[in-house]
Amino acid sequence: MRSTWVIAKREFRSFFDSPIAYVAITVFLIITGVLFFLADDFFAANEATLRPLFEWVPLIFVFYMPAISMRLLSEERRSGTFELLITMPIREHEVILGKYLAALGFLVVTLLLTLPYPIIVAAVGTPDWGPMIGGYFGLFLVGAVYLGVGLMTSAWTHNQIISFVLALLINGFFYFIDKLIGVVWAGTRDVFAYLSFDQHFQTISRGVIDTRNLVFYVSLSAASVLIASYSLRRRLWKG
Amino acid sequence: MAMIEVEDLHKNYGLVEALRGVSFKVDRGEVLGFLGPNGAGKTTCMKIITGFLAATKGTVRVDGMDVHEHGLEAKTRIGYLPENAPLYHEMRVIDYLAYAAEIRGIKKSRRSAKMNEVAASCNLKDVAGKQIGTLSKGFRQRVGLAQALIHDPEVLILDEPTAGLDPNQIVEIRELVRRLGRQRTIILSTHNLPEVLQTCDRMVIIHQGKLVADGTPSELEQSAAEDPPIVVKLKTDEDRAVVTKRLRGLSGVAKVEDRGVVDDLLTFSLNTGTTDDLRPMIAKEITAAGWTLYELKRDALDLEAIFRRLTQQI
Repeated sequence: MRSTWVIAKREFRSFFDSPIAYVAITVFLIITGVLFFLADDFFAANEATLRPLFEWVPLIFVFYMPAISMRLLSEERRSGTFELLITMPIREHEVILGKYLAALGFLVVTLLLTLPYPIIVAAVGTPDWGPMIGGYFGLFLVGAVYLGVGLMTSAWTHNQIISFVLALLINGFFYFIDKLIGVVWAGTRDVFAYLSFDQHFQTISRGVIDTRNLVFYVSLSAASVLIASYSLRRRLWKG
Repeated sequence: MAMIEVEDLHKNYGLVEALRGVSFKVDRGEVLGFLGPNGAGKTTCMKIITGFLAATKGTVRVDGMDVHEHGLEAKTRIGYLPENAPLYHEMRVIDYLAYAAEIRGIKKSRRSAKMNEVAASCNLKDVAGKQIGTLSKGFRQRVGLAQALIHDPEVLILDEPTAGLDPNQIVEIRELVRRLGRQRTIILSTHNLPEVLQTCDRMVIIHQGKLVADGTPSELEQSAAEDPPIVVKLKTDEDRAVVTKRLRGLSGVAKVEDRGVVDDLLTFSLNTGTTDDLRPMIAKEITAAGWTLYELKRDALDLEAIFRRLTQQI
């Protein structure tokens, strides 16, 4: 666990050494800013809520999170630093957990940077704090799942772009699964709604925190982290 | 007692056999030169010793511990510098060494002393505050060496530590390795022969995934000197096969190799089974046959030639 923390610290710092992180954060803040102030006529609607924002951020995260996660392992494998790292007395899952913690840290930073929005809302009206807190909590969970997927695809390839595209495809598939497939086959609608990364978030962002939604996100994150861990052990196959 | 024992190591990458049964031992405190042409399997072998890859078959023991079964324990005893010293370029030297020390589990109270020690022995004091990516290749190799030394390992595995360096940097790294080798067991891969002579106690040569030589440089030179090939260059109208046959018929000649026509001269290489000098006898025979002798020499092989002979594509 000590090694996990060492890796997490280094990784978290290195986010801020890479231009990608700044570009991603800037683009993210511009898009959410536009959505917040303009898209749904925030001032005209006369409603103290972040609802329009919360509806869009999970979709933005489909793109944003892979951009953050793509270099986690791909870059280390491309540059060869992974070899040096893994020949230190350290286990694969410690590497993965360290990287995941760092990525979650970056997610928290991202969410903190959007705090001016609720502050503005609170300044101009009386917001309903339940959905607000639920929304942020839900965004953290959705982001954590996307990052888990991205970490997993980053463990699969030494090419950041491939890692990005694979994560984007997987995240996108599970984001849209209820919206497209669910509509086509009405009979399977509930199944796809359950599998959708977005559906559970919509429940949480109403301020309802249900164990089922929590279990969904936590188990998906755990599964992708576990697969990522096993992917790193593939180099030890005797083939 | 052997510090590193490599036993019957095989490694397949799909259908490619990178290692085909390599065995050798390195004694405690010995500096072993690991030689071979590119693609011979040097790097693969080192990756298995350090626990980065698993062998298809065979075992590696470091200080008596199987690196596959007891990876974590074995890894604490090894310092490793992979080929091209892969480091985090965006980090400062000092931060990187601190990170390496921390991940190696060096206690906080001893960390800065340890960092100072390796920075001093690798001459990194002046660049401690610089970003690794801005350093020259020679300095990056030294940072790589410093991280490999930070936990005071008994074993050092260095994969081509002098590749791509300029002559001054090469001399510096060699001196450093020699100094480190006084207390440590080192495997150093290279395809540079002078390097082996200057820094290593013993050398093994691998070729196409197999061990082809193992010994001290002087042992290898001696073994080659026992049977130096005789090179004959002559002119004749007769067929090369006829010449080959006649030369082989000489008493004491074990093997005749037709090396083709070089500069209009028929060239043959003869191996003798004896330590006697057969040159006068060969000269007489050639004259008797009516051929014109241009050259007749017995080469005492230097290491360079031994290396070439052992690693030629056959």
